[in-house]
Amino acid sequence: MKNPLQLNPKDMVNTYLLFFVMHSAQIGVGVQGFQRIVFQDAKHDAWISVLLAGIATHIVTFFMIKTLEIYGANDLYGIQQDIFGKLIGNVLNILYIFYCFMSFFSILRNYIEVIQAWIFPSISAWFLAITLLIIIIYAFTGGLRVIVGVSFFSVVLSLWIIPMLAFPLKFSSINSLLPVLETDFRSILKGAKSMTFTIIGFEILMVIYPFLNDKKHVQKYAHLSLLATTAIYVAVMAVSITYYSNEEIVKTVWATLTLFSFISFPFIERFEFMAVCFWMLIILPNLCLYLWAAYRGAIRLVNIGHTKFVWLFAFFIFLGTLFVQTRIQINAINNQFANIAFYAIFVYPIVLWIIAALKKKITTKKEQKNEQA
Amino acid sequence: MKPFNQNQSPTAMNSEAPTENLETIAQAQDHFIQSIKDATNNPDDLIIQSFPPNITLIYIDNLVDDQTLNNNIIADLQNKPNDTPEILMAALSIPEVTVTSLLIKAIEGIINGSVLLHIEGYPQVVIANIASRESRALSTPENESQVIGTQVAFNESLSTNISLIRRYIVSPDLCNEKIKIGRRTNTAVTLLYMNGLASDQMVNTVRQRLASLDLDALIDSAVLAEMIDDNSLSVFPQMLLTERPDRFCDGLLDGKIGVIVDGSSMAIICPQSFTEFFQSQEDQNLRWQIATFVRLLRLAAFFLSVYLTPFYVAALTFHYEVIPQAFLVPLSESRALVPFPPIFEALLLEIIIELLREASARLPTKIGQTIGIVGGIVIGTAAVQAGITSNILLIIIALSALASFTSPSYMMGNVIRLIRFPIIILAGFWGFYGIMLAVCFILVHLLRQSSLGAPYMSPFYPPRLKEMRDSIIRMPIPLTAKRPALTRSKDDYKFDPEPIKPKKS
Repeated sequence: MKNPLQLNPKDMVNTYLLFFVMHSAQIGVGVQGFQRIVFQDAKHDAWISVLLAGIATHIVTFFMIKTLEIYGANDLYGIQQDIFGKLIGNVLNILYIFYCFMSFFSILRNYIEVIQAWIFPSISAWFLAITLLIIIIYAFTGGLRVIVGVSFFSVVLSLWIIPMLAFPLKFSSINSLLPVLETDFRSILKGAKSMTFTIIGFEILMVIYPFLNDKKHVQKYAHLSLLATTAIYVAVMAVSITYYSNEEIVKTVWATLTLFSFISFPFIERFEFMAVCFWMLIILPNLCLYLWAAYRGAIRLVNIGHTKFVWLFAFFIFLGTLFVQTRIQINAINNQFANIAFYAIFVYPIVLWIIAALKKKITTKKEQKNEQA
Repeated sequence: MKPFNQNQSPTAMNSEAPTENLETIAQAQDHFIQSIKDATNNPDDLIIQSFPPNITLIYIDNLVDDQTLNNNIIADLQNKPNDTPEILMAALSIPEVTVTSLLIKAIEGIINGSVLLHIEGYPQVVIANIASRESRALSTPENESQVIGTQVAFNESLSTNISLIRRYIVSPDLCNEKIKIGRRTNTAVTLLYMNGLASDQMVNTVRQRLASLDLDALIDSAVLAEMIDDNSLSVFPQMLLTERPDRFCDGLLDGKIGVIVDGSSMAIICPQSFTEFFQSQEDQNLRWQIATFVRLLRLAAFFLSVYLTPFYVAALTFHYEVIPQAFLVPLSESRALVPFPPIFEALLLEIIIELLREASARLPTKIGQTIGIVGGIVIGTAAVQAGITSNILLIIIALSALASFTSPSYMMGNVIRLIRFPIIILAGFWGFYGIMLAVCFILVHLLRQSSLGAPYMSPFYPPRLKEMRDSIIRMPIPLTAKRPALTRSKDDYKFDPEPIKPKKS
């Protein structure tokens, strides 16, 4: 087992904070409008698709932790270098860094799109990108503790949004969910697959694992956070299906935000204006964590300081926002990215576990032979 | 760690004199007087008295206690034969007397309020400390007043302040270390902490930060607090300045470290978390339900004060849809005559309020009240009638100004006062998006701060459920037995956390 990370105990974070880290990494821009893409395939059984996707995350996470446990205190980058050798491992590491970059970019670009569509149609994308990047850089340079803190506050301060789901319930009819399992199973699975873009984020576990101070409870908190995410997604999906009529949901791009627009209080109307802006706090940990994950990979490849890295990263993201302008381009990127992410997040970790487990068996056998000889 | 109360006496305090100044005291009387005159630049209040046959007495007039000088030194000198410094030392009936042969120590003694007694023919001098410092009487706390609780505040005298603290904490564990800061002012700074409660590492950090300061002058503790903060560039203070001895002692008993500066009526307490700035000592004296209510009120006031005006500006500039219909009519009526955009209107009124505030803080008390009336009523009404601002904004601004006064710490109140302006500007340009940028930026900024290396957002981040019982709420006293982990105290619990169940009789 090569390349174990030598970490200062000061840099470690409490394991229970993993709950907030994974949960905040999962919930982001996707939840604003995932209903449409899932509904296209799974129809009114879409909530089952969401549930299935949630179960899939549990399975994948289980194998991720198994792989990580083989190595003790190492992250994905180190494991890849160990399993595939320096060359192929580093190529895979670059790919993973690129994946983080793409993930960061698509979250940022989608959020900018939402801001432009809902609030400021005339404000330019580069301005929004710069303002968001400045805050992210500021958080990132504070180190992992600050990033985890942002995740924590992001989850805690957003809790008040969940009860808002009760408002549309007044107008919803439970009959929309019936009959259960009318759609054929293939379509439901297809719907589950379209959840990818919304539900990913938990792969941050592969990078943050060595920083957790109590490795024994990782399974518990990881699965708890996945459970919370799945519960929220299923709830949002169920409310959306019962609230909208069948055709409406396919036509609504940001169904969650449209749900919010019916909420009104005596002192405030058109609640979604606040929600859209408040979403900044929800995507902030997303962006910080992907940036941090990319940085962890980059320092394995080249000797680069974190300030230099973050400015380079931000510069390329900024260039990206200049080139990707239209809704069609963004959609295309989302779809491509979701495709890649499906294999990178749902298939690859299981393959990695099989290889790691096999390798461990072979090496232990060899060692036993050596001892006998 | 030094044992308690070492270096307490001002004469012993100077024991670490630099070794290069080893000039000894002259045996001849004339030479001795001349060397003292040279070293002190021959001030007019330097009194030199000769007692035949062989004794010279030198002191600075305004620094010594005349009564003690007459009764205990001059009277003693006249009655007894004086042969050697040792005999002289024994003859004087005052507690702090030392003998030295170093000139530099004699100089330090005389400027600290000692009388020098020189005997012709001896290369030593007797230093008798009878210092008397002018200080005002103790008074009630004016900046941190409270209804229920002690009504005494620190004053400018270091020894009075320490004696106040020693009255609250009667314990040999109360450690006291004196450090001198300021090359020119030689200000006495005292480090206070509870042995067995305060973390050694934190005490060392403070000690080291104080020792490594190279200042020309130190006049007030607020300057010192800024200098030894973790992040002096941040607008948020990371150490508490308090004038209340009870608050100070409560901090020490939580395992915190206190610093008192001679000549300053504000004491420093550290480490301090962000939430603790919104706690008042009075909360401890009230019933927990009331204390919780008041704390929540203060927290609400903080958010109201910082975000209400920006919200108004953002809603009126960009997001009319957000305002409910019933409210839109009175709002547009009151704004119908206002010629300015909301951001300008809000900034104008905010600046007027700040002007009033600054004026009433600077002016003598009697005129200050008049200014309040003139500003509040005349300018407010006139501004609305002249059509410069809307009624509703006037209410909002007054409300947020009022709310900013609820912070028990004046330093934090100032922060609230200041950070409103950038948020109003952001709201005026980018609406809710701008406000949210500010929220995220402040959140990240607060997360990045630390106080003596301890997390500033404690107990919320890192989350510690047990300590949240005494944070923005206050649970009953039996449930708040744990000391804050912020201080890394050696003794975790204030008392046995078992609930007290009084027997029915």
